[in-house]
Amino acid sequence: MIEAKGLKKVFQSQDVETIALAGINLSVEQGDFMAVMGPSGCGKSTLLNLLGMIDEPTEGKYLFRGVDVGTLSQKQKTRLRKENIGFVFQNFNLIDDLSIWENIELPLIYLGVKRQERKKRVARVIDQLEISHRKNLLPIQLSGGQQQRVAVARAIVAEPKLLLADEPTGNLDSIHGEQVMNILNLLNQDGMTIVMVTHSHHDASYSRRVVHLFDGQIINENINHSL
Amino acid sequence: MWGNFFSSGFRVLLRQKYYTFLNLTGLTIGVVAFVFIYLYIQNELYYDRSWKDYHHIYRVNEEYSTGGKLEKMALTPFLLADKLDSLFPEVIQSTRLFFTDPSDKNAVSSVEYKNERFDIPNMTIGDARVFKIFDYPFVEGNPDSCLIQPNSLVISTAIKQEIFGNQSALGKTVRTSVREYQISGVFDNTKQPSHLSFDAVISVNSLGKEEQKGLNQNWFWINCYTYLRLSDTVHPKQLEQRMNIFMDSAIRSYIRKENIQLEGYAKVYLQPIRKIHFSSGWLYDSHTNTNTSYLYIIGIVAIFILFTASINYINFATARSLKRAREIGVRKVLGAFRKQLVLQFVSEAIMLTFTAFALALSLVELMMPTFNQLVGKNINLVDSLFRGYGLFFGVLLLLVILLLALVSGSFPALVLSSLPPAGVLRGNNLFLKYRGKQQFTASGLRRLLVVIQYLVAIGMFISTLVMAAQIHFVENQPMGFNKNNVLVVNRPPDTSFRSRTAAFVNALKTDSAVLGVTTAANMPGYLPDKLLFNVGDTALHNYQSMSAFFVGDQYFHLLEIPLVEGRYFSNLPKADSTEEFILNEAAVKRLGFKHPLGFALNSPFTKKGKIIGVVKDFNFTSLHQKVEPLVFVHMPRAVQYIVLRIDPAHTQQALKHVNKTWKTFNPGYSLHDIFLSEKLDSLYQSDQKILSIFIYFTIFVLLISSLGLYGLSAFLVEQRSKEIGIRKVLGGSNNRIILLMVKEHMLLVLLAGLLIVPEVYIFMSRWLDGFAYHIELKPCYFVAGIVLVAIIAFLTVLLQSVQIVRKSPAISLKYE
Repeated sequence: MIEAKGLKKVFQSQDVETIALAGINLSVEQGDFMAVMGPSGCGKSTLLNLLGMIDEPTEGKYLFRGVDVGTLSQKQKTRLRKENIGFVFQNFNLIDDLSIWENIELPLIYLGVKRQERKKRVARVIDQLEISHRKNLLPIQLSGGQQQRVAVARAIVAEPKLLLADEPTGNLDSIHGEQVMNILNLLNQDGMTIVMVTHSHHDASYSRRVVHLFDGQIINENINHSL
Repeated sequence: MWGNFFSSGFRVLLRQKYYTFLNLTGLTIGVVAFVFIYLYIQNELYYDRSWKDYHHIYRVNEEYSTGGKLEKMALTPFLLADKLDSLFPEVIQSTRLFFTDPSDKNAVSSVEYKNERFDIPNMTIGDARVFKIFDYPFVEGNPDSCLIQPNSLVISTAIKQEIFGNQSALGKTVRTSVREYQISGVFDNTKQPSHLSFDAVISVNSLGKEEQKGLNQNWFWINCYTYLRLSDTVHPKQLEQRMNIFMDSAIRSYIRKENIQLEGYAKVYLQPIRKIHFSSGWLYDSHTNTNTSYLYIIGIVAIFILFTASINYINFATARSLKRAREIGVRKVLGAFRKQLVLQFVSEAIMLTFTAFALALSLVELMMPTFNQLVGKNINLVDSLFRGYGLFFGVLLLLVILLLALVSGSFPALVLSSLPPAGVLRGNNLFLKYRGKQQFTASGLRRLLVVIQYLVAIGMFISTLVMAAQIHFVENQPMGFNKNNVLVVNRPPDTSFRSRTAAFVNALKTDSAVLGVTTAANMPGYLPDKLLFNVGDTALHNYQSMSAFFVGDQYFHLLEIPLVEGRYFSNLPKADSTEEFILNEAAVKRLGFKHPLGFALNSPFTKKGKIIGVVKDFNFTSLHQKVEPLVFVHMPRAVQYIVLRIDPAHTQQALKHVNKTWKTFNPGYSLHDIFLSEKLDSLYQSDQKILSIFIYFTIFVLLISSLGLYGLSAFLVEQRSKEIGIRKVLGGSNNRIILLMVKEHMLLVLLAGLLIVPEVYIFMSRWLDGFAYHIELKPCYFVAGIVLVAIIAFLTVLLQSVQIVRKSPAISLKYE
């Protein structure tokens, strides 16, 4: 599904060059659940951003479902992203001024899904994630765990092929973190491909593969045999 | 999708109540000010443009010179209109209106209807063709024939309402002290702004046959406004030349016939009616006339206010929307195209700008009566929209509002969406990301706009200060006589008053609070009479046109006008029947006398006489004019005003006594009295009006500028929150940090002050030159203007800075 060949990302600020990723080769198969681990500043989130097409690599090739992303225009990339990728962030990134329902509905609006269909699909994920009784509230009225569930609901409502999660439990206590990881696990079991950046070994234990990054390079890769 | 845009937009606006309120207020005030100024200017420019064929209507002005003295008047002799009408085929229609002193609000005529008296403030006499040129809408009667019959009277709708209420006025009879008049028409003068300001017109045919005959022969009786409608093919300048050839020969033959010895010339000018409102320099011109330079200034101010309000709106909106960077990032990650983001922000901006627009128009409508009162007009919002360029400006304003929404909405969306969403979402400081050339230009532009705002605020403030100081000066400047505690009572409009004048004056003197009483036909502050005087030996034929005051015995004592030489008029019987004259110093100078006492003087309207005294110069008109030559003619019979000096300790007692005595002597007539000082203050009414307009718009400008500054400093402070946090961590005191924030603005104010002071100096010098007596432009006005704006800027920036320095640095640094 995903193939990265020699992905490099350099941040340039005036005279200083910071190498965030130094040539990453990686492939992710359909239905995989991969955790990316490593110390702060090793390039985990940068890798996730490149995979999610919300940032551009400085060098290298990135193939998403056989399409060379580097050859696409911004518009084409946006289209490819919104049709195939869902995001979950550490700080939830819900829009404060939209209700829970509206936040979840947003990707469908940008996909141009008809209102009736949107209604059905939002209702379905809201039920699935057991947040339907809070659908009219604003994000600020929910606990962190609930907000992250809404964020997950929003990430999957458009039924993406790939879910990218950037430290999804980083801002949650252990109970709520556990709940979110269970949801991701269930989604993966239903066939969704997941790439998750995490610091937590516990969270990583839910994945099938764990990739270790250090100074922008993959230094180690494990298959989780316990699953 | 639009539903989503609007619902989230609405919530954003509601949630950020404080910003929404400030932004809405700024824009609303801007639009309100702009619309008001537009309406004012439109009304001014529309003066005398509503008459049918107004392009071809002209007023005839006359210039004449006698004895080297030039007089320019808006008036002409009565007979001129008929002569021009019959001799020049290019004149399609002509009409005349008699001169009535528009500055004399007391010179009312009153009419009696069903035993009740009603005042008509501005009654004039006109010939039968008045309404053929001035096509006022008629509510009752026929405009073509209403002034043909003798003793017919045409009144305005307001007067009709006052006298007859909702009943028809046509055919009803009212009485003046002289005769009965029949109402032959009612016209509506509320719609057309015009230099004409009469409320009622009496048919000229009501004048006696002898009187009309006299008017029809006399070339020197200059008492009528003459209006002509010319054919559309005529060249006015050429026609003017031919008219002047005719005038010259007509006046010469008149002089020969009347055996008048006179050197000089008379010329007429055709003045387009649409230009009268902005003309100056013609004596007896309409009191509503104004100066175009005021219009330019307030027009520039209007454009500036709208411009500032718009820029502030954009500054404010962008500063606020940069705070929503994360939201934009999320929306981009979720698949929003740039266009969709732009639409999202634009729809929000549209909601806000159109709310401001609607709010502003409602406020304008609501405040219209107050505004009309302030500027002394009768403006209607809807009428103005469909008049002249009203619709064009309405649409233009709407486009500006829409453009504002587009710019303020698309700017943040375009800038933010050009950044990769990853950075936005990492929570990096966008202001730092957005640094670089683009931002440098943007902040440079913002500074420039702030300087412009300071510039105008300082300019307006200094001008207002100078105007207020000058008006205070003219109202308190010694006039050369004692204007205080002098009450001027108008005589009743009753011809039999002459027989009871002496008894009335004696009765007034009986109260101890009345210190003195005199009578006069002329008073300072009112328009003086102009007379031709033949000086010295009549054989010299040296005619001079000078102002003349016809006064009673005690005039000089009562007004405390100091004597230079000779004596005042005496009430003792004279040895002979010669006339006595007293001159002011300016008249002595004009006539070139070294020792004027005993010199002979006469005029066609007085008997031969001699100069018996000279008084010190005093200001008898507004301080706009220098003291002109003035001749006092001793004529106790000529009573227009009864003038009283009142004991200031017993003003109320005196007023009560005057009132009581008036009722005894003049039953049925209402008393019209005014303190001379008030009357003199009213000479500066148009200056006062401009001053109050300036005061209001200065407040508008200061308000809008401070709102804009507040928004901008919010933006700058936000931008520097990390820097402030670090400075605090490193031990910077709050005061030092605040000083750092405030310093830049103080420098900008100073820069703006230095840039605008020369322009204001030039402009205010010109304005002051309009007064013959004026204050000096001292540096204190300029310093005060700059200091005040600096204080406002200081407080505004301080307010923002205090908020940010009070924050714990942990908060501002956490988000970096």
